[in-house]
Amino acid sequence: MLENIKKEWFTQPGTNILAGIVVALALIPEAIAFSIIAGVDPMVGLYASFIIAVVISFTGGRPAMISAATGAVALVVTPLVREHGVEYLLAATILMGIIQVTLGVLKVGRLMKFIPNSVMIGFVNALAIMIFMAQLEHIFGISLDTYVYLAITLLIVYIFPRLVKKIPAPLVALVVLTAAYLMFGPDVRTVGDLGQIERSLPGFIIPDVPFTMETLRIILPFSLSMAVVGLVESLLTARIVDNATDSFSNKNRESRGQGIANFITGFFGGMGGCAMIGQSVINVRSGATTRLSTFTAGAFLMFLIIVLGDLVVQIPMPILAGIMVMVSIGTFDWGSFKYALKAPRTDAFVMILTVIIVLFTSNLALGVIIGVIFSALFFATKISRVDVHTETAGSSIYYLFQGQIFFASIDSMMNQLDFNIHDKNIELDFSGAHLWDDSAVEAIDTAVKKFEEKSNKVYVKQLNADSRKIVRELSRLNEQHLMQ
Amino acid sequence: MYKTLLLAADGSENSFRAAEESMNFIDENTRVTILNVIGTDDVKNEVLHGSQSGNVTARRKEKLSRILDFYEENGITYEVVFEHGSPADTVVNVANNGAFDALVLGTRGLNNFQEMMLGSVSHKAAKRVTIPVLIVK
Repeated sequence: MLENIKKEWFTQPGTNILAGIVVALALIPEAIAFSIIAGVDPMVGLYASFIIAVVISFTGGRPAMISAATGAVALVVTPLVREHGVEYLLAATILMGIIQVTLGVLKVGRLMKFIPNSVMIGFVNALAIMIFMAQLEHIFGISLDTYVYLAITLLIVYIFPRLVKKIPAPLVALVVLTAAYLMFGPDVRTVGDLGQIERSLPGFIIPDVPFTMETLRIILPFSLSMAVVGLVESLLTARIVDNATDSFSNKNRESRGQGIANFITGFFGGMGGCAMIGQSVINVRSGATTRLSTFTAGAFLMFLIIVLGDLVVQIPMPILAGIMVMVSIGTFDWGSFKYALKAPRTDAFVMILTVIIVLFTSNLALGVIIGVIFSALFFATKISRVDVHTETAGSSIYYLFQGQIFFASIDSMMNQLDFNIHDKNIELDFSGAHLWDDSAVEAIDTAVKKFEEKSNKVYVKQLNADSRKIVRELSRLNEQHLMQ
Repeated sequence: MYKTLLLAADGSENSFRAAEESMNFIDENTRVTILNVIGTDDVKNEVLHGSQSGNVTARRKEKLSRILDFYEENGITYEVVFEHGSPADTVVNVANNGAFDALVLGTRGLNNFQEMMLGSVSHKAAKRVTIPVLIVK
C-alpha cells in the first residue's frame, strides 16, 4: 500500500512536476475556450480545471492522466446554461458527480468493453466537428483583424512546435498575440466582451437553485448526459494512457474518481469535466508517469489564474478560436475515411450514424448510446443467423450447420430444413455449430421427430463437447441417433 | 560482417527494404536489434483502430511481421525492442547509447505527410548518430 503510494506519487518527481507545469500552461487557453462554448464566465472553466485536476490526482484510477473542464461536457451543457443559467449548471455538475460515483460503484468500467471502436471513432469525430463549428461565430463576419489574428495563431501553433518542443505553442500564441493586442488595439473581440471575470480563490457555495422536483426534472437529463460523456472520454483516454505507458489502470476507480471530482467541483463554482486526450498525451510525452504530474497541473494552473487573472479579459477571441481549430483537428480521427471504406459495412454505418446523431441533436451522449444500441442489434442479427448447407446423394441427405444455435437463431435454422422428404437417411452435421440453450436442444429434437414421422433414419454427428453435454442432459435423442 | 546491428523499422515498405539490404552486411552470427518507436500520437490510433482485448505487444509485432518472417527464413538472430517517444530522437538515442556496429533504416516511413511536417527521421539520424548509418532508398 505505502509502497504503491510512493510509486504512484514520487517516482521521478522532477520530470513529473515539469510535465505538470507544461500541462497547466497548455490548459489555460482550452479552459477559457471551453467556458465560452458552454456559455459561462471563463472562471467557471478555470476553477473547474484546477479543482478537477487536483481532486482526480488523489481519487483517479489512472496516474498521469489529466482531467479538467472539457469540450465534450461543455457542448452538452450549452442549452442548459442558455435557458436556465450557470447556477443550474453547478447543480447539474454535482448530480453528474453523484451519477458517476454510482456507476463506478456498479463497476461500469467493465461495460466500456461494450462500446465498440466504431462508436468511439464516431464520438471523437463528432466532438471534433462540434468544437470546430462552435468557433465559426467567433471567426466569420466580425472584422478583417479577426482573420489576421486567427491566421497568425494557426501559423504559431503549427510551426512553433517544430522549432521548440518544450513550451506549448498555444500558450505562445496566447501571450504574443495578447501582447500585440494590448499594444496595437486592433478591431477584434476579447474574452471580456463575452462575460465578466473575477479573480479570487474558489470558495464553497451551494448552487442557488430551488430544491424542487422541477429543478431535478430540468437538470437530470443534462446530468445523465454529462456523466455518460465524461466517462466515455475518460475511459477512452485512460486506455490511450495505458497504451502510451505500457501499464494498466483501474477503470472503476477512475469512474468513481471522476464522480468525486465533479461533485466537489460543482460546490466550488466549477463546471463539469472529464479526462482530456490531448492534455494527457502532452503530459505523457513530457515524461509524466505519476499522480504528482496531475496534481502539479492543477495547482500551477490556480497559481497562474491568480497571477494573470486581470489579463484574461484582454485575450482576443480569434486566438482562442484558432487554438480550438487546432484542438479539433487533433481530436478528429483522420483514419476514419479509410475506416469508412474498409471496415465491415455495419461498423462504418454505426460510426457515421453516431456522428450524424450528435450533429443533429447536439448531444454526444445520445450519439454514443444509439451507436451502441445499433452495433448490438447488428451483432445480434449477425449471430442469430445459422447457415445450413445441404447435399443430396441417392437415398441420403446431408445437412451441415454453421453458426450459433440458440433461442434467437432456431427459426432461421428450421426454415432451411425440408420436412417433406421421406424414406431417406438423414445426417445432421454440427461440426460448424454450437448449441447454447434448451431451445436449441428442443429445436433439434423437433426436427429429428418430424423427419422420423416420415420414416427417415436420422443421425446427429459432430457435436462439440459443450453441445454434446447439454444434448445428453436435455435431449430425447438416443444413442442410435448419436451413433456416428 | 557486423556483430551487432540496429534496424529501425516502422513496418513500412521502406523499412522492409532496409531489412533486405541489411542481409549484405550480416550473417547468422550477427545479433540484430529491431527498434520500433511508438509515437505518443500513434497511441490514439492504436486504441481507436485496434482490437480492445488481447496483447498490445502481439499487435505491435504484427505490423513488423514481414521483417520478422524475412529474418527467420534467413536464419538471422534478432530481438524486437519497442520504445515510446518521438521517432527521430528515440532512434538517435538508442543508436548512440547501445553497443551497435551500425544503424540501418529506410529513407521514408509510413507517413509522408508527417515526415514533411516533422522532418525526416533518416535525415536526423544521419546527422546525429555517431555509428555508421545505412539509409536504404
